[in-house]
Amino acid sequence: MNLTMNSRTPSETTCILDIAGEVDVYTSPQLKHDLVQMAERGVKQIIVNLSQVEYLDSTGLGVLIGGLKRMREAGGNLTLVGPGMRIQRIFEITGLNKIFEIYETEEEALAKEGGAE
Amino acid sequence: MIDSPTETVLHSETVHLVIPCRPEYVGVARLAILGIASRMPFSYDEVEDVRLAVGEACTHAVERAGAAAATIRIVSTINSHALKIEVSDDIPAGSIAVLSEESRLLKEAGVDQQGLGALLMEILVDDVTVDTTSTGTHVVLTKYAPD
Repeated sequence: MNLTMNSRTPSETTCILDIAGEVDVYTSPQLKHDLVQMAERGVKQIIVNLSQVEYLDSTGLGVLIGGLKRMREAGGNLTLVGPGMRIQRIFEITGLNKIFEIYETEEEALAKEGGAE
Repeated sequence: MIDSPTETVLHSETVHLVIPCRPEYVGVARLAILGIASRMPFSYDEVEDVRLAVGEACTHAVERAGAAAATIRIVSTINSHALKIEVSDDIPAGSIAVLSEESRLLKEAGVDQQGLGALLMEILVDDVTVDTTSTGTHVVLTKYAPD
């Protein structure tokens, strides 16, 4: 039961956050902390890579929704990349796949969101 | 504690787990449920569904408890027809932890996080009942064995 996070900055205003492990009521405050810090640093585009996430519950979804709202209010965006089948299913059954932009690859997300300049 | 050591589930067997109602113990409950659900003829996805549903039931208790000391009791009853998991807490009705900034953002976005958890439970298992009284909340999750 753990969560590891690593961030990369392909451009000044874009940040890719790699998450691995379990996002639940215990670990989601760490994710929230990182997302809030990125927003406060002036990042306009956060790309959250979910490809190594093994477990995501309603608290994790809540943090991602909160991050999306925070970013959009600041004129930016938060997008998701590469969720596995289990994680993708959670977005589908909650209807959140219609709220988030979910891409298969980072390259696709960067190209669509204009962060690859 | 498993009441019966038999390998094949011909009659009901019950497993009891009691955990502190705190975030760091929800993963312990999920791990135990993974082992219990694996004794049923469920697919990998169905086992994962049960694990997530139980995680949501525990999370609901943890969020209501806030910083208050409380306990979650999980009773899993397994037989050839179904897996029934009862998740009970001793948090009195009406106890609501302080609304976090995240909760406020979610409310503004028109999303109820506890509603998300309830929705997940409803979809992931076959039957869900939630009974809240003055002494706590009792959630019963049932997943039937495939025909």
